[in-house]
Amino acid sequence: MLKTMLKPLFRSKKFLIGFIIFIVIASLGIFGPMFYRVDPTEMAGMFESPPSSENLLGTDTYGRDVLAQLLNGIRSSLYIGIVAALTSLIIGSLVGVIAAVKGGLMDDILMGFTNIVLTTPSILVAILIASYLKARSVTLVALILGLFQWPWFARAIRAQLMSLINREYVYLSKLAGYSDLRLAFEDLVPGIATYTFMSFILFINGGIMGEAGLSLIGLGPTKGISLGIMLQWAVLMEAVRRGLWWWFVPPGAAIVAITSSLLIISTAMDEVFNPRLRER
Amino acid sequence: MSGKKLVEIKNVKVYYIIDGLQVKAVDDVSFDIFDGEVLGVVGESGCGKTTLSNVLLMSIKKPLNFIDGSVTLNTQNEPLHLQKLRRDQLKRDVWGKEIVIIPQAAMNALMPTMKIKDFIYDVVSPHFKNITKDEVIKMAKERFEEIGIDKEAVNRYPFELSGGMKQRAVIATATLLNPKLLIADEPTSALDVATQKMVLKTLNELMNKKIVKSIVFITHDIATVRQIATRMMIMYAGKIAEISPIDDVLREPLHPYTEGLLLSVVTPEPEIRKRGIYTIPGSPPSLINPPVGCRFYPRCKYRMDICEVEEPKLEELKPNRFVACHYARGRV
Amino acid sequence: MKGLEIKNLTKVYETGFIIKRYIKAVNNVSFRINPGEIVSLVGESGSGKTTIAKIILRLLNPTSGNILVDGIDIWAKENQNPKFAKEFGKKVHAVFQDPFASYNPFYPIERTLWQALELLGIDKKDPRAKDLMYEALENVGLKPDVVFGKYPHQLSGGEKQRVMIARCWLLKPSLIIADEPVSMIDASSRGGVIKLFEKLKEEQKASILFITHDMGLAYYISDRVLIMHKGDIVEEGNPEEIVANPQHWYTKNLISSIPTLYRKLEDIS
Repeated sequence: MLKTMLKPLFRSKKFLIGFIIFIVIASLGIFGPMFYRVDPTEMAGMFESPPSSENLLGTDTYGRDVLAQLLNGIRSSLYIGIVAALTSLIIGSLVGVIAAVKGGLMDDILMGFTNIVLTTPSILVAILIASYLKARSVTLVALILGLFQWPWFARAIRAQLMSLINREYVYLSKLAGYSDLRLAFEDLVPGIATYTFMSFILFINGGIMGEAGLSLIGLGPTKGISLGIMLQWAVLMEAVRRGLWWWFVPPGAAIVAITSSLLIISTAMDEVFNPRLRER
Repeated sequence: MSGKKLVEIKNVKVYYIIDGLQVKAVDDVSFDIFDGEVLGVVGESGCGKTTLSNVLLMSIKKPLNFIDGSVTLNTQNEPLHLQKLRRDQLKRDVWGKEIVIIPQAAMNALMPTMKIKDFIYDVVSPHFKNITKDEVIKMAKERFEEIGIDKEAVNRYPFELSGGMKQRAVIATATLLNPKLLIADEPTSALDVATQKMVLKTLNELMNKKIVKSIVFITHDIATVRQIATRMMIMYAGKIAEISPIDDVLREPLHPYTEGLLLSVVTPEPEIRKRGIYTIPGSPPSLINPPVGCRFYPRCKYRMDICEVEEPKLEELKPNRFVACHYARGRV
Repeated sequence: MKGLEIKNLTKVYETGFIIKRYIKAVNNVSFRINPGEIVSLVGESGSGKTTIAKIILRLLNPTSGNILVDGIDIWAKENQNPKFAKEFGKKVHAVFQDPFASYNPFYPIERTLWQALELLGIDKKDPRAKDLMYEALENVGLKPDVVFGKYPHQLSGGEKQRVMIARCWLLKPSLIIADEPVSMIDASSRGGVIKLFEKLKEEQKASILFITHDMGLAYYISDRVLIMHKGDIVEEGNPEEIVANPQHWYTKNLISSIPTLYRKLEDIS
């Protein structure tokens, strides 16, 4: 089953391009720090020196190695993205599934709540929470971001399930005496799996961008390093005006590469699984 | 068939081209539409009947491709070769004025927030240089009355009208400019029988009052088309199987496919219960790689050796009866 | 008492959050179907016929009234448990309108038959399973090799409906609900499927509720016809009588509007 789904996916050029870019960047983040064992928070050379054989991507104002920062930054940005995405996915699925299956008053209450969260300006609330907390770990920032992404996913899952539940094949499985749990896993989950996966990808994007945004205004993680924090320091030290390109170009490029490759992957999947969107 | 030829279709080939594959939706089809007739086009899903309506309008959009042939309109002083016109010329000179189409869900064309009269004004006014809204509404009311629709319907919103009323209002609006040819593509199949009957009556009214010259009625339902058509064209797998006057087809179908279709119709009539329901075995061929000979060969109960290798041509086997079948030709 | 019995069935839909609105979809309907009988429920869309089907199939709960299948009240309190659901699945089977929506696109066609075997307590790896499935498919005029391992999009609508009926041959249910089973199949393949219902009736003595909007089909297949209009059964009788001599105004209007093949409707020109 999985094979029949993956085959057309890898035949799509768009998907392949996005996938390769993402794999390259992700493996930089995952394996890079294992091989390039320089501490990104310690002084490792001269101040603000341009790329050289000693520091491949140069150093920043405090003499910290930019390459080490970049590799660790990619790693923690991906971590933030995935944790934020998982948080949104779990809340969103719970709310969406319960609303669709229970219906009635429960549906009204849950959807009312979802609409409230949906219309709340999420970044403002995130700023409020973040500025209230004096110490913020990477995981905490990810969780804060994850708390505000789920409403549209919950609504979409609810709508999809409501249409699936009224398909004849679900009726027939019910007639065959399936328990609710078995029905959910065999007949409902496959129907929403691709959509959920695509949403997951977009959520990762949202997490990475959200972190960069919070960090840029100084409300990112207070410990550790991330792509957003690198950019924040570069901005604080006026790296752009002073032409210290090796400092701000790599993290910016990494953010663009990750988020755009993920976007390409998700649109390519949409095209493959939803043939109506294919180019005419 | 006597009478003036309103539209002549010659050797038209229209293919869908998707991922390099050719789907021969309409493959080498020739026929005429005469002045004063209601031509019923009958076939099952995927036989090319809806594509044919696009051909008559020459509204061909990718992935549909016009490969070959000609569509000639004889309503003006000089014959108009539709396949040579550009889209904007067709829009200006042909659609709405000469040929008009009523699609299956025509009533969905009505804007829910607009009164019927506003909708009519929107549709009709671009075809005139100077026309006031009152003139249009007066025109519409007269026409509604002429074909037996309550003229007060123009003052209503769509949600205030029944499904049949909406469908008839759209038909009346579409024919306000007295087009010569009306193409109705499954105009009744989503409606219940009582509404269906009203729509058929409206179409008949358009013919009786000479508002349109001819109607092409496309459907899968022989019992419906039988109520209104004068001639019937049966399509199978992108080709014409038979074109004959309707009473002849019902009395004596010549093409084996026509015969099979007729025998599979169920209506509440004692004859049907006696006769039983016939099923044509198998399913229609792929239009990507159709059979070399007759396309109906694999399912035909009268098939002969020649049918497998040689494609039968559409020939006039009896007066006014055109059939593409080796077996029928041998029998007549 | 074998067969289906419906007593005073009413279904009211409730909509709205605070201000409730009520829609009566089925209004105090009673009828019964004996074993070996095909009864048609004829009505236009919105007449409540599919609501009745769903209630009989335990997919929708009734507002009031009783439904007895082989004498057992299927909506009784003590029967709302998984064990009864399995028993019920063996007794009642359904063939739905849309053959494309009747199969989960993620599974091969034969899953439909596995589900039936499972209800009967036969594992799909059991050697008997294959024989039973082959026999069932042959009964509905399909070559097993054509069906096995195929996915829903690879079969035609008619073939898919036949596989659905093959499930009836495995389960041998005492009641079959056929909700517009041929309305989405091309006319030239319809007859074969219709005949399969007649065969089920003859050979398994099943009670069949045939739901349709097409009076022609109902006339052809049924022993008895129920005409439904806006939640009420307005007329009941044998098909010839109803067609030849309708009593209720709605039935009269319906019969006189049906396009026929051998006679032209008089009042449309």
